[in-house]
Amino acid sequence: MLNISVMNIVYTVINLLILYVVFRVFLFKRVDAVMSERSREIDDSIISANKKEQEAEQLKEDYALKLQNADKECEEIVAKSRKDGYDEYDRIVNDAKNKAEQIIAEAKHNAQVEAQREKDAYVSELTDLVVHAANKIAVSKHDEETDKELYNKFIFEAIEKSE
Amino acid sequence: MDIGGLLKELLLEDKVMIHFDFMNGFFDINKSVVITWGVLVVLTLFILFLTSNMKVHNISRKQLVAEVIVEKLRGITYGMLGEEGLRYRDYMVAVLVFIGASNLVGLFGLTPPTFDLNVTAALSLMSIVLVEAAGIKKKGVRKWVKSFAEPMAVVAPMNVLELAIRPLSLCMRLFGNIIGATVIMELLKMAVPIIVPAAFSVYFDIFDGLIQAYVFVFLTSLYIKEAVE
Amino acid sequence: MDLTTIGAAIAAFTGIGAGIGIGLATSKAVDAVARQPEADGKIMKLLLLGCALAEATAIYGFVVSIMILFASK
Repeated sequence: MLNISVMNIVYTVINLLILYVVFRVFLFKRVDAVMSERSREIDDSIISANKKEQEAEQLKEDYALKLQNADKECEEIVAKSRKDGYDEYDRIVNDAKNKAEQIIAEAKHNAQVEAQREKDAYVSELTDLVVHAANKIAVSKHDEETDKELYNKFIFEAIEKSE
Repeated sequence: MDIGGLLKELLLEDKVMIHFDFMNGFFDINKSVVITWGVLVVLTLFILFLTSNMKVHNISRKQLVAEVIVEKLRGITYGMLGEEGLRYRDYMVAVLVFIGASNLVGLFGLTPPTFDLNVTAALSLMSIVLVEAAGIKKKGVRKWVKSFAEPMAVVAPMNVLELAIRPLSLCMRLFGNIIGATVIMELLKMAVPIIVPAAFSVYFDIFDGLIQAYVFVFLTSLYIKEAVE
Repeated sequence: MDLTTIGAAIAAFTGIGAGIGIGLATSKAVDAVARQPEADGKIMKLLLLGCALAEATAIYGFVVSIMILFASK
């Protein structure tokens, strides 16, 4: 039972080596290939995720910058519109002033015309009155007393009329 | 009960299975080697089944099993070998699986290949060759030769003797364990033919067989670790 | 009864050493686990290895006795 046969030892060694090769080629190599592929993919996805993050960061910065610019622009627009508004206001006010002056001038003119007309009417009336009084004087018998009365009456009438 | 007769039949049977006529039977193939072929074929088919159609994503259940097996076995041998002997772990996995499967053959009513001294001798021979090769590869020939005189020149004969003692001890441990288990199982089967042998077979065939495989690989790894340090 | 049987029986005495060795190893392992329950995995591994090594002497004795009984004939 303890007889050693060299060839059988050799056979077993060969068997063992075959088994080792089988393990290497069909088990470890295949599993390693899959595992390394998987870890490579994981690395890739990590790298791409990092890249995306960077891109997002960049985008954020861009937006922040743009936002700042927009603020400035906004201020500019507001200033411009304010200026425009002032201009417009000035223009309107000037217009209004002009118009008002025009109206005032017109009104003055009208008033002058009116006054002229009234004056004319008054003068004509006064003339009538004078004519009338002259007529009266011419018609009536006149002495100092009546003359005085007549003058007073005339003056009163003239004052009354002029008032 | 004829215990002597049983043992004689068991231990003194003719182990030659395939006989070649020339060279006085020098190239005869033992039964154990033939069983080893069977183990080899079964393991290869199993591995091919497990690793066929491997994918990176959406892995199937058998691929998961394959990956878990690889991880576990490599974890075991890595724990024994350490960082220095990393390159030998695949071989250690192969030896572990080979011895384990060989010892489990007893479950199917066959005699385990490790019941034959030639197989265990071959295994231990491979181990000692690997250990020394690892030492030479790591240290170079000069340093390797010098390492026999460490820690003192006086122990050099002991160290040289260890070259023979280590494989002998590995070989005899495995062989003795398997032969003891097999003999006890045969005696049990003779004494109580049913039920009891099944219960004991769990210990002797499965537990003891796997423990011995583990111990064999553990000791070899220990020697390698020592050699590459 | 010839002397080879007695020789085989004497070879079986190696079991004593193995038994003492395994007993010592186990008792120390139990001590260690009681002291440090979190390290039981490592201790278990070492115990298994130590038992296998201690058991080897008994196995050698067994092999020797089998050899005496059968290989000498």
